[in-house]
Amino acid sequence: MSKSRDASVSSLENLPSENVEAAPLYIPPKERFLEFRRQPSTQRASVLAFIGALAFFGLWEAGHYLTPASARKFFPSIGEVGSALYMLFAERNFLHDVSISCWRIFVSFMAASAIGVPIGILMGCFGNIRALFNPTLTAWRYLPAASFIPLLLVWFGPTDQAKIALLFIGVIFFLISLVLDNTTAIQKEFVEAGLTMGASRRVILTGIVVPAALPAIFDSMRNMIAVSWTYLVIAEIVGAQDGIGAVMMRAGRFLNVDVIMAGIVTIGALGLLTDVIFRGAARVLFPWNVERRS
Amino acid sequence: MNIVAKDFTPVTNVPPLKASRITKEYLGGSFKALDDVSFELHNNQITAFVGPSGCGKTTMLRIIAGLEYPTRGRLEVFGKNVQGPGPDRGMIFQAYTSFPWLTAMQNVEYGMKILKVPAAERRERTMNFLKLVHLEKFADTYPRSLSGGMKQRVALARTLAQNPAIILMDEPFGALDAQVRWEMQELMIELIEREKKTVVAITHDIEEAIYLADRIIFFSRQPGRIKADIPLTFKGGRRIKQKEELLEMPGYAELERQLFAMMREEIK
Ligand SMILES: Nc1ncnc2c1ncn2[C@@H]1O[C@H](COP(=O)(O)OP(=O)(O)OP(=O)(O)O)[C@@H](O)[C@H]1O
Ligand SMILES: [Mg+2]
Repeated sequence: MSKSRDASVSSLENLPSENVEAAPLYIPPKERFLEFRRQPSTQRASVLAFIGALAFFGLWEAGHYLTPASARKFFPSIGEVGSALYMLFAERNFLHDVSISCWRIFVSFMAASAIGVPIGILMGCFGNIRALFNPTLTAWRYLPAASFIPLLLVWFGPTDQAKIALLFIGVIFFLISLVLDNTTAIQKEFVEAGLTMGASRRVILTGIVVPAALPAIFDSMRNMIAVSWTYLVIAEIVGAQDGIGAVMMRAGRFLNVDVIMAGIVTIGALGLLTDVIFRGAARVLFPWNVERRS
Repeated sequence: MNIVAKDFTPVTNVPPLKASRITKEYLGGSFKALDDVSFELHNNQITAFVGPSGCGKTTMLRIIAGLEYPTRGRLEVFGKNVQGPGPDRGMIFQAYTSFPWLTAMQNVEYGMKILKVPAAERRERTMNFLKLVHLEKFADTYPRSLSGGMKQRVALARTLAQNPAIILMDEPFGALDAQVRWEMQELMIELIEREKKTVVAITHDIEEAIYLADRIIFFSRQPGRIKADIPLTFKGGRRIKQKEELLEMPGYAELERQLFAMMREEIK
């Protein structure tokens, strides 16, 4: 057997190395647009994203021109919405409304996270704490936050506190249940490894459970901040002098559809920005979790 | 090793572990996973738990680790009653438990941090054990970018660096493919030989059990009892690192045949 192997090795060496042509290029099968689970390159993804956005704006513009001229006022073109946006910022101090809205989101979301994330983690770790809170919290989760508006208006009046409280109520119960799931989903052997290494409960909690669950918790927060925006507009429509929602509501009273749409576009853009910030932060905060590029 | 972390191995003649009449019931007593199991571990021996699936090997190991409690019986480590888990008994799991948020080096250091080993000694031991498991080039790599075998080597180094008296392993190489598994077995023999540890390793692979162990405890199923306690005398008190050498030894084939027959008896 070893003899024949030697023979084949020597025959390889005997090949004249100079006039050997490179093997022909391999031609892979034609790639289709719909390939299962194929990830496009970054470059291609941005081109596709651009086309997608273009299609959206194209439909919008087409919708505008297909609307009968008499009703076109109610379906303004991109240009009209754009100039409404410019007018808002330049003449109506819209920046103030945008920043007050962002501020409400920020304060309420920070408060909800500061309370909800630790509670969710503790509930995910300890069965007794979970049994203590979960039934009550589940009931709260089924209550529509909007149903608290009358109560909050009676308690706080049309103040910032009322709006921040509404956003807080709208977010915290879902956030807790998501964080609870994120925490229970960590590999149970991580905790057991900690126990057999002699770690104290505090060390297991802060040194093992929290870092293990944090990337998923961060994702839950990113998803919940989108819900925050929903309640913000509700809160500002109901009783506010300022904020993006209030501007839109006032415009509605005068049938200024271009201003309403400018508000929608602004919220969309802010949402997109929030998402980008969260994703970027996750990349920096959890470098171990970053997808490996092959 | 010239540096000394806290040593959990006292100098006594008391066996490192003594399990007396361990019974474990589940489902409110209607199911007995272990029934009146007694055995002692011997110092610096590798014991393999072998037996059909569901015979209670994992249950027994987790009871030793302190992660579960027996319904009846008593468990002593160096003569002291065991209450819950502790760093005197290190555990290596089948699932990869190297922490993904720590680099290989930080993982190995972590166990010693828990034990409050001084920083300088900790660092030296970490580098030492990383070298021993051939991962010194991957010190700053996160487990995500390591292969399964490498992740398991991180876990092995982390456990060894804590210097436990007893090391418990539940099918530690079960998730690895054949060639990596074989490499890990060789590495393990080398490390145990060097570190002088008492080891219990669960495996359902009879060949692996014969290769690694100095002694095989064979469990029978339903209820879980010790069917046979087999010292691997054919090795002549040595550990054979070369698998080829082991296969050629007189007695090997006979033992393997015997174990397969026992296994067949259990699963019929
Ligand atoms: N928490 C539990 N509740 C009820 N039954 C259990 C529990 N844990 C284990 N068992 C039962 O106890 C028996 C022994 O389980 P164990 O996991 O110890 O077996 P094993 O020998 O490790 O099997 P395998 O080789 O498949 O890992 C099994 O029949 C199992 O179904
Ligand atoms: Mg098992």
